[in-house]
Amino acid sequence: MNNSGNMRSVEQTTIAPLATIVERNQVWSRMAAKYGVVNPVPPWKTSLDGICDALDQSGCVPEVFSAVDRRNEEDALSATVYSDLPYPENRLVALAHSLLVRGVIDEAELEERLAAVRARLES
Amino acid sequence: MTSEGHDHDHDRTAAPMVDEITDFEVLEIALRELCIEKGIFTAEEHRRMTEFAEQIGPTPAARLVARAWLEPEYKELVLSDPLAASKEVGVDWLHPTGFGTPSDFTAFHVLEDTPALHHVIVCTLCSCYPRPILGNSPEWYRTPNFRRRIVRWPRQVLAEFGLYLPEEVEIRVEDSNQKHRFMVMPVRPEGTEGWTEDQLVEILTRDCLIGVALPKVGVTTNAVTETRPAIHPA
Repeated sequence: MNNSGNMRSVEQTTIAPLATIVERNQVWSRMAAKYGVVNPVPPWKTSLDGICDALDQSGCVPEVFSAVDRRNEEDALSATVYSDLPYPENRLVALAHSLLVRGVIDEAELEERLAAVRARLES
Repeated sequence: MTSEGHDHDHDRTAAPMVDEITDFEVLEIALRELCIEKGIFTAEEHRRMTEFAEQIGPTPAARLVARAWLEPEYKELVLSDPLAASKEVGVDWLHPTGFGTPSDFTAFHVLEDTPALHHVIVCTLCSCYPRPILGNSPEWYRTPNFRRRIVRWPRQVLAEFGLYLPEEVEIRVEDSNQKHRFMVMPVRPEGTEGWTEDQLVEILTRDCLIGVALPKVGVTTNAVTETRPAIHPA
């Protein structure tokens, strides 16, 4: 089972690029309504499912981040830090949060990559 | 591109798209690329898992039950060897990796309802679900609210889905775990005598196969429920 002390520190960590994303609030329900799209879930949802499955299967993720840990953190973060986000946005942001807190990726490289991906998609 | 044979009206036929790059779309790609670059998984592994996520749905499970209702021999197979029975409706639980997905493949059981016994499935630990045969779980199934309360007050929680079971019907809540996945085989409802397999499949909605609804003539969609906040569940 999870150590509640660890869980608390995971929730207490603020991650600037994720906070910005939450604030900008481009959630699917809003975007779909704006463009008259009827799909109930965003187009990236299955790819996110793919990431979670691939992570769960990976032997490279540290032992401390098992599939059950990931799901527990997703629940905890979705109920606290990211309680304003709907599903599946909360799942995506919670996953990013967990990967950052565990040092699998770091904040600077995430920010850099977010900018690079956006530039590529807008080119 | 040529205009030859291009006489249909795109404005009318093409579904509208969100014509804006969203932060969430960018974040999903960024995370995926970073994981791939760090060697956590490969692009090919991710593609296979995504393809799996896109092609699964509740139809094979509905067909399995419909066929079991119609063919006693197949029903025996469903109960004695559910993995073999799944293959007959096009689901190989070992797909897509050769050993299933890490969170899915293990053991699979089909729970047979009777007029005196009703089953409902849950995963109290996380959100285990028989995805290969039933598709991705609905959002409410994943909530701590459902997971905690269905095991404590099953009759009341089922009533929140609009399913009111008489006191004399026993309710069994089956908790999935790391090694076991379940689905429910409800009792064939009255009024379906002489129906074809395809007709039966239509009333076997996802909710019936989870156990929060009963199949009913004329009902072919899942219940719509309010998802309660899960921060401080009772």
